[in-house]
Amino acid sequence: MKFLINPSKFNEVADYIFKPVLILSIVFFAIGLLFSFYLSPDDYQQGSTVRIMYVHVPSAWLGLLTYAIMTLYSILALAFRIPFGFIFNTAVTPIGAVFTLICIISGSLWGRPMWGTWWVWDARLTSVAILFIIYLIIIFMNLSFENRIVREKVVAIFILVGSVNLPIVKFSVDWWNTLHQPATISKLSKPNIDPSMMTPLIIMTFAFILIGIAIAILRIKTEIISRKSYLS
Amino acid sequence: MNFLNKIIFFYYREYKLNMSGVQDILTNIIFFFISIFIFIFSIGPDKETISIIGVGILWTLLLLSSTLSLRKFYQDDFENGNLLIIHLNGFSFGFIAILKTFSHFVFVQVPFLLSIPIACILLNIANDNLFYLFASFGIGSLILSCLGSISSSMNLMNQRNFLLGSVIVMIFSVPIIIFSVSIINMEESFNSLINILFGILLIVFAINPWASGLCLKLSLENN
Amino acid sequence: MLIVKDLSIERLDKKIFANINLSLSSGNITILKGKNGSGKTTLLKAILNLLEPSFGSIYWKGKLLEKNLYDFYNHVTYIADTTSSLRKLTIKDNVNIWKKFFISKISDTQIETALKTLKLDNYLNKKVGTLSFGETKKLEFLRLIIENKKVWILDEPLSNLDEDSIELMKQTFEHHCSKEGSIIFSSHQNPGIYVTEEIQL
Repeated sequence: MKFLINPSKFNEVADYIFKPVLILSIVFFAIGLLFSFYLSPDDYQQGSTVRIMYVHVPSAWLGLLTYAIMTLYSILALAFRIPFGFIFNTAVTPIGAVFTLICIISGSLWGRPMWGTWWVWDARLTSVAILFIIYLIIIFMNLSFENRIVREKVVAIFILVGSVNLPIVKFSVDWWNTLHQPATISKLSKPNIDPSMMTPLIIMTFAFILIGIAIAILRIKTEIISRKSYLS
Repeated sequence: MNFLNKIIFFYYREYKLNMSGVQDILTNIIFFFISIFIFIFSIGPDKETISIIGVGILWTLLLLSSTLSLRKFYQDDFENGNLLIIHLNGFSFGFIAILKTFSHFVFVQVPFLLSIPIACILLNIANDNLFYLFASFGIGSLILSCLGSISSSMNLMNQRNFLLGSVIVMIFSVPIIIFSVSIINMEESFNSLINILFGILLIVFAINPWASGLCLKLSLENN
Repeated sequence: MLIVKDLSIERLDKKIFANINLSLSSGNITILKGKNGSGKTTLLKAILNLLEPSFGSIYWKGKLLEKNLYDFYNHVTYIADTTSSLRKLTIKDNVNIWKKFFISKISDTQIETALKTLKLDNYLNKKVGTLSFGETKKLEFLRLIIENKKVWILDEPLSNLDEDSIELMKQTFEHHCSKEGSIIFSSHQNPGIYVTEEIQL
């Protein structure tokens, strides 16, 4: 597992797995989209709009997951002095931001027919919007510091401070009475969702994860190269 | 005893510094009142509407005007090297952050606290609510000071984009606004809401010396 | 007292200097010589434990510096090449603030004579911001007398000073050394100050 913290090892492994991951993600996307558009049933209440879920839910999960991994890498980088954490953070932030943006946009497209508005100010939506703004602030911080050493450490500290938002996003539907429905899928209980809808959701989630990994590999590799060229 | 004296004279120094620039603090307060005027004129001077949204306006403007002075938080002491001298006099960076936070609270936030009653008259907020307002703003402004310390220490080395500091404070102050504004509207649940605010204060207060201290050290290292 | 052993510092994986050895005992003056950008200030910062050395270590009174940090800080005065006096306040206020903040036992008459020798006694009620650059620089050195500590660490103390002031600095240095104090200062040339150790960066 050393390739997760060592840039040169990461490069070796990334060269091996990049193409398979990319191809797999395309395959998963094809199957998943086929399932979600044609092979899954309409919801008896929501009708055809339920198909937005197959994009909305995976992107929301991935937006959160990316931030969680970034928090982990910030701890690694600050406490255990692993500089790969800084590389990872700079490379991966825009990916998380895009996933969160997809989640917000698809959510409001879904909310328009279901709730009758594009946006409501409930806890889940607000906290996800804050997550998106935190991503944006991280990107702007990455752009506006001149000194690299200061920049990456300050950004890591900011990521750690901002991670208080993660549990708020996750549990906002349980803590407050929100318009947004509570989680239907959790580890502890049997999923509240029909298998015919569960299959495309899982396939789409894998597709999102794989495409996320593929883009992350590309971005991390460029980041490593740019740092090397900066030195010479 | 020696250490206690040093703390006292740290505040003596802060006092002298702030009193020599007392017009800066007063300008903040004038900004606060002028924005109240503008707010009222932009929604129309209807008494009913103003008394409904008055508390919200008050909180928003307090937040905005207290982020105005964030640049003064560490920047001056950092640029003329006083931060280093204070550190060499036996204060760790985390402790400097705590001291500075209280100094910011006393010299920037307390003047706002004192101007709240006048603002309440202007905004038609009932006198009964004054106590709740003071309680929520007393705790909330201490939270804002801690957040200000974190964000301004992060932005010491950021010469290009200082607005980022205010944005960081404002994004983290969303929960404070939510809870402290609802204190007025839900008087029966006053205790639980003030406990939540107090909890947030303790969390931020615990993070503050670590995060600001680390950022101060980083900036001094790479200056 | 202060021993620097095989110190190397790298920033962004770029070597700034390598294998510096330095030992400072009481009564010594050490000069750091070098061109602009050769890492004089960086070395001083490393000695003050602000920068972490990439290799090597620093000892204070036989212990590692990090273990003995606040004892070291109790014995050291650092003067950077920025003006640390508060520009909005008068000289008198500044002196008062420093005197109180460092719990100094220096009497007022001593400070007055020091101000007189620095030729600043006429400006006592003038704001620091209105003084000339050389005068603020001289005001900085007043802190050496107020803090009254053993080790002086000075960053470029001689730049922007006229000949009289440099002569004054020479005498101050000698006086400090005769009282078992020790000095490290950085400079790109040495205008005839007696030094016990010279380090070329």
